[in-house]
Amino acid sequence: MQSSAALEYDYSVAKLYMWTAVIFGIVGMTIGVLIASQLAFPELNYLMGEYGTFSRLRPLHTNVVVYGFTISGIMASFYYSAQRVLKVSLAELPFINFLAKFQFVAYLIAATLLVLSLGMGITASKEYAQMEWPLDILIVVYWVIWGINMFAMIGARREKALYISMWYYIACFLGVAMLYLFNNMEVPTIFFSGGLGAWYHSVSMYAGTNDALVQWWWGHNAVAFVFTVPIIAMIYYFLPKESGQAVYSYKLSLLSFWGLMFVYLWAGGHHLLWSTVPDWMQTMGSIFSVVLILPSWGSAINMLLTMKGEWNQLTENPLIKFMVLASTFYMLSTLEGPIQAVKSVNAIAHFTDWIPGHVHDGVLGWVAFMVFAALMHMAPRAFKREIYSKSLLEAQFWIQTTGVVLYFTSMWIAGITQGMMWRAVDEYGNLMYSFIDTVSVLHPYYTIRAIGGLLYLIGVFMFAYNFFMTATAGRKLEQEPQFRSPMA
Amino acid sequence: MFHWLEKNPFLFSVGVFIVIAFAGLIEILPNFAEAARPIKGLKPYTVLELAGKEVYKKDNCIACHSQLIRPFKSETDRYGKYSLSGEYAYDRPFLWGSKRTGPDLHRVGNYRTPDWHANHMWDPKSVVPDSIMPAYKHQFKNVADLETAYAEAVTVKNVFNTPYGDEIQPGKEAYEKYLKEKALPEALEIAKKMKNKEVLEMVQKGQIPEIVAMIAYLDRLK
Amino acid sequence: MTLTEMQGYAFFFFTILLVVILYGYILHLYRSEKKGERDYEKYGKMALDDELHDRPVEENPKATNDDKKE
Repeated sequence: MQSSAALEYDYSVAKLYMWTAVIFGIVGMTIGVLIASQLAFPELNYLMGEYGTFSRLRPLHTNVVVYGFTISGIMASFYYSAQRVLKVSLAELPFINFLAKFQFVAYLIAATLLVLSLGMGITASKEYAQMEWPLDILIVVYWVIWGINMFAMIGARREKALYISMWYYIACFLGVAMLYLFNNMEVPTIFFSGGLGAWYHSVSMYAGTNDALVQWWWGHNAVAFVFTVPIIAMIYYFLPKESGQAVYSYKLSLLSFWGLMFVYLWAGGHHLLWSTVPDWMQTMGSIFSVVLILPSWGSAINMLLTMKGEWNQLTENPLIKFMVLASTFYMLSTLEGPIQAVKSVNAIAHFTDWIPGHVHDGVLGWVAFMVFAALMHMAPRAFKREIYSKSLLEAQFWIQTTGVVLYFTSMWIAGITQGMMWRAVDEYGNLMYSFIDTVSVLHPYYTIRAIGGLLYLIGVFMFAYNFFMTATAGRKLEQEPQFRSPMA
Repeated sequence: MFHWLEKNPFLFSVGVFIVIAFAGLIEILPNFAEAARPIKGLKPYTVLELAGKEVYKKDNCIACHSQLIRPFKSETDRYGKYSLSGEYAYDRPFLWGSKRTGPDLHRVGNYRTPDWHANHMWDPKSVVPDSIMPAYKHQFKNVADLETAYAEAVTVKNVFNTPYGDEIQPGKEAYEKYLKEKALPEALEIAKKMKNKEVLEMVQKGQIPEIVAMIAYLDRLK
Repeated sequence: MTLTEMQGYAFFFFTILLVVILYGYILHLYRSEKKGERDYEKYGKMALDDELHDRPVEENPKATNDDKKE
């Protein structure tokens, strides 16, 4: 065993994921801006022949930002903060350290294959679970390795109690594992047809309504266990650490954790309101979506109150800005979601642009802001350098915030407008608008949305530059900063 | 939870798993016995239609089109009878979609002709001047993958007892026989309705372009 | 009794049960802290004092670290 003087936390795996987060962020969000622009200006569909249409690019956008950008951010945070709250260095566990790097390689391979296969149109067609069976197997392997690493690190911990973040990481691991396995049950056709057809093709184990049920049990909870649970894990670590304030209430965090775990899974049915799944399930989905406000706001309020007495940091430290706004957006979207899950509201909102609007105030305002803050908090520690530019971070914050606001306001208006037009009838009870009327009317909102997205993307480029310069040209630090990240 | 649980990673994980699995047990499982029954008279997709469904998936029409008519007057007026669970019994995967940038397609076969689809897929603006849908001209050139569709039919017949006739059998020979005797004549009929000479020539030469399969599938949605 | 009726009763029962569990749990948390049996809030320190040489809030007796950290 090494002597204590030499023993430090090992950030090598975290660093790898930090870079992929930046790269996938740029790729995924650039595609996002392109497809947003295609809705406003359809000519942009023809830049890359069959591979450049909106329909082909959309799953690329969603998958790259979810499984590329967000998962990278989560893994970087995990391999950084789990060491710290468990007080065990990866340098002490050489095999686990190796396994973590192997996991990263598997990740890169899976991500590359995913991008290629979606580009070629090879897809199982279930949203956020488009991967065909060979890729599914690779992803299961990847996930299992993560589990092994997590529990090996936990087993070697010096701190007896698990910190709040660790609860959420464990939940993320278990939740995704369970849902992913069930939703991706599929039968490869080549084994049952005497070797006919494409080897990667498969059919779902479930048909029709059942398939929908399992898919949205997954789809909704992919949001829960990728976009919520691990991001909460991040904010429970990074906000207290960056601000130097202990979490406001550990008891409240206990309450909201178990509340969230119990309630979240029930709410998947709200994606299927007014569909052919049984009424009582739809009602359950609705009710639990509303109940879900409690544990969600529990975490968010806990975060905001952590800043109690230290609100001056909000003006002084851009990272605190990012994180406080992230928890505020978390509150916004966890209120908006339940509203949309009310059956009468859903009748108007479903199938319209209000839904992508809702998704994006969550992911742009909450998930991505939290990932940016986490990456920038980790950068000075991982690279032992000062953050390259504070003013660039400030500017990024305001540009992106403007972008998000433009995005969701335009989509709210677009969604409600279209929802109302679909059902509008004249005095004789005839439909007032043909479908195309309800599309043409959206042009200005699609344009505003594309501009909002573009602003956000500009912020991402600023971030990438700032991050790159921090890693390569920031002023060298003598020792690891304790709380507030130093920035020039 | 009670002070000790957060110190026992194993018990903690078991606890989390029970709490999250609970909802699925009560909410998801019971439906499986009920919902898989087809409505009376529902026929499984022909291989050509399945190939069309693959094109629908490949070009990801689901990004903008739903296949689910909700039970509101405004929807039944616009699209036709509201959707029933049993109509989806052979849909693997389900293709309800979650966004209507374009209209619902669950009964599009009732009110659009193959000729209309052909024009629309070649250039949407030629039939709907304000359309923002991209053209899918490549579907007129790419050859549809009938073999994979046939493999799918064999699989669902053998694994899920989907009621296909004896003509659906594993193996290359059975496939080629089916292609010649069933799929090509079916494709030819559609190609004739499309008024597109190149497509017709392709089918007559024994090659089925994606657009023909696609229209077979769209036409089947009723 | 029809299935819907049973679901109705079950729904009512579970609503009451869950509310009782929720409030019971909150009460349990606060009471045990007030009586001085537990100090939950000390665990919040784990995120702040997270250097390898920081003293853990509660030492893990199973940790196989033989290096002496001061």
